[in-house]
Amino acid sequence: MAQHRIMVIDDEKIVGDMAKLSLEQEGYAVETFLSAEPALKRLEEERFDVVVTDYKMKGIDGMEVLRAVRSRYPATQVIMITAFANLDAAIEALRRDVHDFFPKPVKIKELKASIKRALEKVA
Amino acid sequence: MKIEKKLILSNIINGTFIILIGLFAFQNLNLVLTKLRFVEIADDLNASFLAMRLSEKNYFLYQDRKALGEIRDKVAATTQTLEAEKGDIIPAIGETDLRKLESLLKAYAKTIEPVRGTVPPDAAQEERIRGAGRSLQEYADSITRLERKRVNDIIQDAKRILIFSFWAILASALLIGHFISQKIVRSLRQIEKMTRSISEGNFAQVRDIRSRDELGSVIDAVNHMSEELAHREEQILQSKKLASLGILTAGVAHEITNPLNNISMIAQTYEELYGQLGEEQRISLMQKVDAETERIRKIVKNLLDFSKPKDAQPKEADLNAVIQKTLTLVQNMIDVQNIETIIRLDQGLPRVFIDEHQVQQVLVNLITNAVQAMTAGGRLFIATRRGKDGSSVEVTVKDTGQGIQPGFLPHIFDPFFSTKGEGGTGLGLSVSYGIIRNHRGDIRVESKPGVGTTFTVELPLPANS
Repeated sequence: MAQHRIMVIDDEKIVGDMAKLSLEQEGYAVETFLSAEPALKRLEEERFDVVVTDYKMKGIDGMEVLRAVRSRYPATQVIMITAFANLDAAIEALRRDVHDFFPKPVKIKELKASIKRALEKVA
Repeated sequence: MKIEKKLILSNIINGTFIILIGLFAFQNLNLVLTKLRFVEIADDLNASFLAMRLSEKNYFLYQDRKALGEIRDKVAATTQTLEAEKGDIIPAIGETDLRKLESLLKAYAKTIEPVRGTVPPDAAQEERIRGAGRSLQEYADSITRLERKRVNDIIQDAKRILIFSFWAILASALLIGHFISQKIVRSLRQIEKMTRSISEGNFAQVRDIRSRDELGSVIDAVNHMSEELAHREEQILQSKKLASLGILTAGVAHEITNPLNNISMIAQTYEELYGQLGEEQRISLMQKVDAETERIRKIVKNLLDFSKPKDAQPKEADLNAVIQKTLTLVQNMIDVQNIETIIRLDQGLPRVFIDEHQVQQVLVNLITNAVQAMTAGGRLFIATRRGKDGSSVEVTVKDTGQGIQPGFLPHIFDPFFSTKGEGGTGLGLSVSYGIIRNHRGDIRVESKPGVGTTFTVELPLPANS
């Protein structure tokens, strides 16, 4: 079975670092980005199974990432995390077919479980 | 002394003066009347004396015995008149002159007495009679002349005194009027100056007026009002700050979420991967926790500093640093509204002498307004630079929001003027204005509906920079 590829986009460097440490333990290939632009570029080169993205970012925000990924790469699942526990944003994300929506602070175990479910969907 | 009392006193003084002059004029008039009455009597007497002398002459010329009878009749009539008019004569010429006149008349009568007209009068007798007659007539004449002159003198004196009093009263009335109005005008000017300075937000007291009159009371009242206003302004300042704090707290709570999440994720990873982590990695993670804690501490400290009520404490400060600090408080509010911020701080900006917290409050107010004007997102531009003439620094807060209607522009710094409906207290800009004016600075606005609004805060540089 090929290694699953996970992408983490968050302008907080620690989020990517910690997610990478934990998720690599699970055997995933993890790439982290501090903003959406290089991440979207990378998606053009490589297929990722799950994209974990922050909602509020400078430049292209999480909602845009969700829209772009779901329209261009329907097989890729998107998990959104946000420091703004905002119901409107959650509803919009659901409409755009988000796989999961996490308010910060994120429970890594829950994130892992969510990723596992997403991968089952992909498979 | 009260102005009212002063006016009454000056009126009493002038009034008393006028009454005294009136009394004096009345007395003079009475005296003149008495003298005139005497002059009238004297004219009659003189006429009688003249008639006597005429009869006397007739007798000596023609030895007319009838003339003797006429003289005696006249002497008797004149004596009677003197006696009868005594009441009018004595006040005019005094008793001595009356006695003298009477005695001269008696002496004349006496010289006439022995003459019977049977024998022609001898020369010596004739001389005695003529002499007595002459002295009588001359004395009466001289008294009359003197009295006429006196009447004239009295009238002249009275005229002079009246003219003098007229000028004196006029001068005193003008002087007192001038003095009191001067004082009133001076005090009113001071009050005017004071109220003007109060309306500019400067609540200094007027202490150089010591008057205990009505104006003193007005100044006391204005001083009291000024004190109250200063007190109220402090309260408004604080309540406005608390209102801003409400807005900020929501944002800051979110701002804290990110470092909290970081700490939480580090802790979870540390716990889960403890065995796999190397010594160095563990230390590095804990350092990260520490750094993130510091991040939270800074945000909370800024918020606490902002909320604390403080008296104005101007200190030398770096305006750019104050702006950066303010941005940590408002960053979240800006982010939520999908607003792009462009910050251009002049790195060579001279240091200013300001109350950091108050200026921070102004910046929070201006940025909050800008963000609220850009409900559909936009660009927030914050810049610092040196003022045009080099004696000040300027902060510009510019938005691409809905702008302010030209009709509202003159009122936006008025207290309780708000275009935000229920959401606005109408105090933000008026408080900001007050703060900047207290710093001897200026705050200006330019706005175009649909294009955006630019606020420029100008703060003076300390004199030595």
